[in-house]
Amino acid sequence: MIDPMWAVVLGICLFTIGLWGAVTRKNAIIVLMCIEIILNAVNLNFVAAAAQHGDVTGWVYTVFAIAIAAAEVAIGLAIFLSFYGHNETISLDEMELLKH
Amino acid sequence: MVSAIDYALWIPVLPIVAFPIILFLGNVFKGMPAWRGRWKEGGTIATIVIGTCLGLSIWLIVGYIGQVTGNESVGQIGDWLSFHMVENGNLVSYSLGFGMYLDHVSVMLLFVASFLCFLIAIFSLGYMNSDPVNLDRNHRFYAEFLLFCAGMLGMVLADNFLWLFIFWEIMGLCSYLLIGFYYERPSASYAAKKAFLTTRVGDIFLLIGLLILWNLFGSLDFSVVWAEDNIAAVDAGTLKIALFMMFVGAVGKSAQFPLHVWLPDAMEGPTPVSALIHAATMVNAGLYLVARMFPFFASPAMAGEFTDLAMLIAWIGGITAFMAALIAFVQMDIKKVLAYSTMSQLAYIFTGLGAALWFANTGHEEIALLAFGASMFHLFNHAMAKGMLFMASGSVIHEMHHVHHEVAHHDSGESAAGNAAGGDHDGGQGGGDDHDHFDAQDMSNMGGLASKMPITATAMAVGSASIIGIPLIGGFWSKEGIIGAAWKASLTSGGAWMLGPALLLLITAGMTGFYMSRMWFMTFAGKPNTPVANGVVEQTPFIPIPLITLTVVTLGGIVFAGFEFVHWVADGHAEMHFTHVLSGIGSEMKHAFLPSGEENGALIFLVTMLTIVISTIVGPATAMALYGGRLQKGEKAKPWLAWLVSLSSRVRRNNHFDNSIWANSGLADSLHQRLHFDAWYDAAMLKIVVPFANACAWFDQHIIDGAIKGIEYGSQEGSSVIRRLTTGSGRDYIMMVALGTLAIFVLIWGVA
Repeated sequence: MIDPMWAVVLGICLFTIGLWGAVTRKNAIIVLMCIEIILNAVNLNFVAAAAQHGDVTGWVYTVFAIAIAAAEVAIGLAIFLSFYGHNETISLDEMELLKH
Repeated sequence: MVSAIDYALWIPVLPIVAFPIILFLGNVFKGMPAWRGRWKEGGTIATIVIGTCLGLSIWLIVGYIGQVTGNESVGQIGDWLSFHMVENGNLVSYSLGFGMYLDHVSVMLLFVASFLCFLIAIFSLGYMNSDPVNLDRNHRFYAEFLLFCAGMLGMVLADNFLWLFIFWEIMGLCSYLLIGFYYERPSASYAAKKAFLTTRVGDIFLLIGLLILWNLFGSLDFSVVWAEDNIAAVDAGTLKIALFMMFVGAVGKSAQFPLHVWLPDAMEGPTPVSALIHAATMVNAGLYLVARMFPFFASPAMAGEFTDLAMLIAWIGGITAFMAALIAFVQMDIKKVLAYSTMSQLAYIFTGLGAALWFANTGHEEIALLAFGASMFHLFNHAMAKGMLFMASGSVIHEMHHVHHEVAHHDSGESAAGNAAGGDHDGGQGGGDDHDHFDAQDMSNMGGLASKMPITATAMAVGSASIIGIPLIGGFWSKEGIIGAAWKASLTSGGAWMLGPALLLLITAGMTGFYMSRMWFMTFAGKPNTPVANGVVEQTPFIPIPLITLTVVTLGGIVFAGFEFVHWVADGHAEMHFTHVLSGIGSEMKHAFLPSGEENGALIFLVTMLTIVISTIVGPATAMALYGGRLQKGEKAKPWLAWLVSLSSRVRRNNHFDNSIWANSGLADSLHQRLHFDAWYDAAMLKIVVPFANACAWFDQHIIDGAIKGIEYGSQEGSSVIRRLTTGSGRDYIMMVALGTLAIFVLIWGVA
């Protein structure tokens, strides 16, 4: 069996890549995809920890996280569509309503 | 049985309640004929209220007449406020109560205050309401007048020093309000401020003294602080400081050197105010306070500890008496003469009290009580006489003013081209009189009023006689007692320093004779100096009532003396029965005029005789030689005044006394400047207070405001920097969250 440590290292790499993408990219869809990567990095951690401890709780959480991530993607895409309907763009640089 | 003490609380409460009522009614009904007429703009209410207070006071006093021993009834009415303090680790609860303390001194002052307030209220009905200047604002006068009365009556009744202080401050406030009654005149508002601030200096000291007293005794109740055991338990040095501070408060209130500067200026108020506050009642507050220190001095535990403080009190009195009499020599304003006379006479009482305290502290209890009684008797006599004198001067001023109005009106109407200032009897200096600047209070504008204002002239003569101390009239009995006490103190071993005040008092007695006579002769003898004085008639209603009453009271001083007033007020050892009056008078006469068998009797007798000679003969004779004169042809004064006037003219004719050397000397000049005290104080203010105020202003602007402004500026700057972080971009926020989380992890890792 692979050492769960490698799974955690992979999770860290995925998380970093996802965070990097979420912070740097302009395109909202790519940012959404990066957030998915972050979520899956977390899932990987859960799975690794579950394998390490022989506890099914981590797997159960992973299943939940995947379901919620799907829902989140649906809502996120809906927001982007709606935003696109208003502004003809989904560039995150245009999304700065929080400033006001 | 219903006792007077049950109702005594109403004495101060009634005027306090009436105070807002009159103000309110006055504002509502202002200008209505009935309010002006029947209600006298609140004067009727004020008179009734004060009359009720007088009735209650008399009821209270009756219980004390004929009391053989000085019983002191304390009525604790209730707790005013209570609080807890941690002392030595224990929670101690204190409560400040309000109650009444009655003894012979307080009932005596209660009578003086309520009686004079009542008479002055009647006087005001005539004086204030017939002057058009006061129209529609008399309610303010009457309301403040009542509040003032409440202050005085409450102060006398208070059973602890805290309430004494509270009522004392009420009086201070009313004094300010009433002196500044004509606030549209700059001089009046200046005088009001001056009086308020000068007495404030004393009040601060009084407050400090009371705090020290509280620290020593844990209470300010008379019953606690006067208890022999409690006095024995405290440190004499600290108690002396407390008493000294309280004495300074009394100095401020009673206008003694060096805090005397406010009293002459306080004459800017209406005359009833001068009569009430600055002669009859408020200035007595300071004396009352000093009189209340007597138990501290008389305590055997403190014997010999406070002799220097008693000496200081006597010296302050002596200096003030002499100085005020000196300044009174040159005053031309009739009210200012009386103001300085007030200062001088109050100083007599201070010296008498100083001597009494000295005797009490050195263990001469009997003579201490005698001196104390004499001081209180002088307070009584002086209050009555001075109240009357001020009201009489008010009567003169009022009538002068009235006639001046008519004459001025007459002039502008008829003699447009002429310069004849007024009527047919144009006097020596009448031609150039400028009516717009006519001073109705200036004695050089008066003269010859004896025949025109008989009641006023009689009252003035009797009052002056009482102040001078003409034998057998009011003030004589008490003044002799005070001078005698001071001399006796100076002859007792260890009291040699008392010789100074004693000598000053002796000289001042003669000076009093001069300046009071000068005032009388300038006003009432000789020929009228102005047409205005020629036209004066005594016609204002109400004014004669108090004058006649007080004339009788002052002349009746001999009866009070016969009642052994001195003993009564000091220790209650007097049997006041009418059967004893004659024998009492006899013993007082013997006491005053015949050398007694006591120690140094011959010298005291000599001093008494000397006082009588200089005060009743030398002083008045000098005044007659300078200011006397026959009345105008055809004018006849009342028989009891006529001889005085003709005597004065004879003295003047036979003695061509020339005082121009004195009058033009530098001394007279500095007397006109009131011995430069005002100038010195102003200079001191400029040198000390103004830089200090500037420093405070700088501190306020730069340090306090600077701190606030610095915080404000800094946060504005800071926020504009922080605001740049708020980009509104979601990605930046994610970044911040990520970095923040990382930072937290690093921190936790680092700590672990």
